Amino acid sequence: MGMTRLLRAAALAIALSAAASGAATSEEVLRLRMNGDINTLDPIATTNFTIRNAAYLIYDELFALDADYQVQPQMAEGYSVSDDKLVYTITLRDGLMFHDGTAVTAADAVASLERWGKVDGLGKILFSKMASIAATDDKALVITMSEPWGQVLPALAKISSNVPVIMPARLAANDPTDPVTEFIGSGPYQFVPDEWVPGSIAVFKKFEGYKPRPEPASLAAGGKVAHFDRIEAIYIPDTATAVNALVSGEIDWMEDVPADLLSYFDDQDVARPVVGEQAGGSMQLVINWLNPPFDNEKIRQALQAAVEQKPFLQAAFGDRTDSYLECAAVFFCNGPFASDVGTELVLKRDVEKAKALLKEGGYDGTPVLLPHVTDIATHNAYYSVLKQMLEEAGFVVDDEPTDWATVATRRASKAPVAEGGWNVFFTGWGYIDQINPMTNVYVAGACGDGWFGWTCSEDLQKLRVQFADETDPAKQKALADQMQKIALDLVTYVPLGQFFPSQGLATNLDGFIESPVPFFWNVQRKH
Amino acid sequence: MLRYIVGRLLSAIPILMLVAVFIFSLVHLTPGDPAVLLAGDNARPEQVEQIRARLHLDQSLPVQFGIWALDAIRLDLGESIYSKQPVSKLILQRVEPTLVLAAVTLLLTVAMSVPLGIVAAWRANGWVDRAIMAFAVLGFSVPVFVIGYLLVFFFAVELRWFPVQGYKPLASGALATLHSVVLPAVSLALVFSALIARVTRAAMLEVLNENYIRTARAKGLGTFRILVVHALKSSGIPVVTVIGIGFATLIGGVVVTESVFNIPGIGRLTVDAITRRDYPVVQGVILFFSVALILVNLIVDLSYPLFDPRVKG
Repeated sequence: MGMTRLLRAAALAIALSAAASGAATSEEVLRLRMNGDINTLDPIATTNFTIRNAAYLIYDELFALDADYQVQPQMAEGYSVSDDKLVYTITLRDGLMFHDGTAVTAADAVASLERWGKVDGLGKILFSKMASIAATDDKALVITMSEPWGQVLPALAKISSNVPVIMPARLAANDPTDPVTEFIGSGPYQFVPDEWVPGSIAVFKKFEGYKPRPEPASLAAGGKVAHFDRIEAIYIPDTATAVNALVSGEIDWMEDVPADLLSYFDDQDVARPVVGEQAGGSMQLVINWLNPPFDNEKIRQALQAAVEQKPFLQAAFGDRTDSYLECAAVFFCNGPFASDVGTELVLKRDVEKAKALLKEGGYDGTPVLLPHVTDIATHNAYYSVLKQMLEEAGFVVDDEPTDWATVATRRASKAPVAEGGWNVFFTGWGYIDQINPMTNVYVAGACGDGWFGWTCSEDLQKLRVQFADETDPAKQKALADQMQKIALDLVTYVPLGQFFPSQGLATNLDGFIESPVPFFWNVQRKH
Repeated sequence: MLRYIVGRLLSAIPILMLVAVFIFSLVHLTPGDPAVLLAGDNARPEQVEQIRARLHLDQSLPVQFGIWALDAIRLDLGESIYSKQPVSKLILQRVEPTLVLAAVTLLLTVAMSVPLGIVAAWRANGWVDRAIMAFAVLGFSVPVFVIGYLLVFFFAVELRWFPVQGYKPLASGALATLHSVVLPAVSLALVFSALIARVTRAAMLEVLNENYIRTARAKGLGTFRILVVHALKSSGIPVVTVIGIGFATLIGGVVVTESVFNIPGIGRLTVDAITRRDYPVVQGVILFFSVALILVNLIVDLSYPLFDPRVKG
């Protein structure tokens, strides 16, 4: 008893003295645990999401997407487009300054965009359709297209990797595959190189020279107000340690709390898990259109009728009903192009219809190979459910236990199943990729040049070109609806539900922006 | 004495040479072309050639070794593949947490284990002795990460006396630093002191049967004076030797403990560098640990004359 008291007294004495010595500084500090370590802050040289997230602290971009996924000027004061939609003139805001004290010029923006255009997928398309890009003076740059293209501004407002960030021209002169080693942007926080310990911590301090836009923050757009003097991105490799640190108040935010650690948040009020509505992804059954039996449209429709989402979601996520959503919308149920056109085909299971379609399609009992992935819990659960559903509908199923790495290799094969090819596999895509008809692989219809499955539809290809050239949001929505209808009619894939991972957030934080990419401006501590 | 010190210092040189050869060959024994590895997946052939020339990989092996050894003497250990930072800078950033952790661990260990060893020897074969030795067996058998996680659970998560993870640098105040390393140091010290308590007991038992101890008792000296002043000093050499050897165990323990408690020391750097195949850093930390071990053994050797004047000869 005496020993316990002594130990407690000693620990408290050390803790109090430690707290007293720390209290001398009244800096507001935000401590983050991102999923990975920060080994560079060059978001052009890598597509790594941790680097993208950290880079948003120090860099700014010309345009950004708002909460309605509409393009808004960010570093740009404004822009004009010529009547023939070929010439874009963009002017920069007054007072933009890099962290090294130099003013941001249009030449810096041109050099940064040119570097981005050499590596980013959308950037490469933009530059392939561009006749020239040049700074006409310190504040204005002119992009001249060789053909009209409706995606110029959306490309410049790209929210995920690679984000077209602006850095000084002297740094942007670096080869895009060779990361810059000096991290200078013009964003609300500046990097503190002296305190950087790769593999442990990266420190950012408020950039006093940053002038936020006057509008309220809205997704990546609007005023980026820095409420903290200092942000520390602390690398904690072990997830359980990170959750313990969060509920003990040592850190304020963690990117991803695995479902099996959610119970750590019980019985305390220091931190809470927050379901990220836009941070999640979806599960899909990818179908190979080249191999029998799914080279036959009727049999693909039979597959669609043979399944429904709920049993899959329950098998994978159990009773955590706020972690998933039954959703058959091709562009996600909470995205800007969300639609229920044709979704009844997927959401309602009809075994009799499946049997009739199999008969109509002349199904000859060709076995469907299920590459039953056992090393990813969600996939494992999904394959178990699928096997039973297919067999009930009259499919012959060949269930073959395997691992994800093998499937990821095998899916590239266009060969018949017996020669190393495949029929179906489960995969997941993220919110940002799926909500956009330009990046959603299931509406490309690009045949042999497309993503695995090689879905083929000239109508889809044409609609995508029209979508790229369309700038009216209402017309874009109508085109997206048509694409969804065709994709579900032809069964380019089977959507099997959306899921939402949880972030961990200190309860005394306010103003966190709901977004697929975590942003740390606007956040403040409640006092 | 001087001749003894110089002799010991000189004997460290061939060991260092051997270590250097081993570390140098590490990159050359690795499958594949180091230049391609360093350049990364997207590199163009001319970039690979540039790296090959920069690293002198186009020279003969003995020339390469000479250049590498000279660079290493100047503390130029190359650049990390992962973070593009100089390896010597990365190591230097990590030295403080590891040194503080090792020092606090060593102090705790000696403070715990030597008295326990003495008491066990004094009360040999009694229940006190058996209890202490049971603790020693347990301490040495339970993996350090298990002790670490248990300490975190009870003292950080449940009682909130200490932080779950992280390290507060000395610049933020010595007490803050101490507060941040108490749990990792205790988990390491438990393992380490188990070993030293056993050795202290064995060495003391041998000495306690010597005639001069019997004489001391006959002279009517107090138990404390006999045990600490007369017996302990004579048991010093094996105990100090084991502390030195235990330093190697400590290095292994530091690697694990720093990972469990998320302390940005050399141990974490080692684990991360190995998992990321960051060969220049792996080379650097092996060199660092080798030099540290050689130095500790040197200090141990040099301390022998303090316990046994005959060693001077």
